[in-house]
Amino acid sequence: MELTDAGLVARVLVDDDQHAFGELVRRHQSTVRGLLRQLTRGDFALADDLAQDAFVRAYKNIRGFRGEAKFSTWLYRIAYNCFREDARRRKELVGINEEQWQAEQDPQTVDPGLRHDLMHALSLLPLHERSAILLCCQNGLSHDEAARVLEIPLGTVKTNVLRGREKLKKTLAVWAQ
Amino acid sequence: MNEQIEQDWLDRKLQEAAPYIEDDGFTARVLQQLPTPQLRWQFLRPLILVGMSAFASALTYVLSDGGRFLLVEMFKLTTIPTLWVVAFALASGMLVMAGGIFAAMSKTAHLES
Repeated sequence: MELTDAGLVARVLVDDDQHAFGELVRRHQSTVRGLLRQLTRGDFALADDLAQDAFVRAYKNIRGFRGEAKFSTWLYRIAYNCFREDARRRKELVGINEEQWQAEQDPQTVDPGLRHDLMHALSLLPLHERSAILLCCQNGLSHDEAARVLEIPLGTVKTNVLRGREKLKKTLAVWAQ
Repeated sequence: MNEQIEQDWLDRKLQEAAPYIEDDGFTARVLQQLPTPQLRWQFLRPLILVGMSAFASALTYVLSDGGRFLLVEMFKLTTIPTLWVVAFALASGMLVMAGGIFAAMSKTAHLES
């Protein structure tokens, strides 16, 4: 029988079982790396470096996981913190402003293909809206869980999701018809 | 197209746009970066306890003139009524059992959480 995440975490806690932690990494690497790839606007190498850092941090701080939230939510929070710290270092934390976003709505700049358009539209969103959209709409977290990951109030998450969705819908209006 | 359908469509497309990323050695690289597990205190604790007990016993033996007090105390023990000895043994057994049950329950609760 396959162990649950909580069971694997218990093995890491009790026996320092690195194989159990390896299984946790295997289970969650795709979503964590995917989230970071989107947050870094498609910089795969940077995203993978941040994901590695996030998993190593998770291992070192696994005693801080109290089981109050899902393991994946706890992991997203660490990954997001890694991204935020790196962004601060690179001084790229501030997302592009509204004027810039509006200016980039020129249809000539958008390549064909829904997926490409969607990724492009996502990358144009300010960081706070992009993060909320990725966590809630793409990774299926509740607003409450996303608020924990992003360490912002629940109301702010809801607003960010709403605004992000509106912008995405506006950009992808042609595809939705 | 109403609001809810539009929202569902967008969420579905967002989920479809995030395909599974193959591991390609990622997990192995993470495991290589993990710190090596350190020798834990749990392994050292019994060794320290046994060592300290042996040292204390040897010291007591030497300082008490070859353990003469032990003979005196053993003689005193023989004068204790049998009923007291039985009661003491029972009480000790129950105390140890209660301790074991408490430890097992704490460990189970910890693993379940």
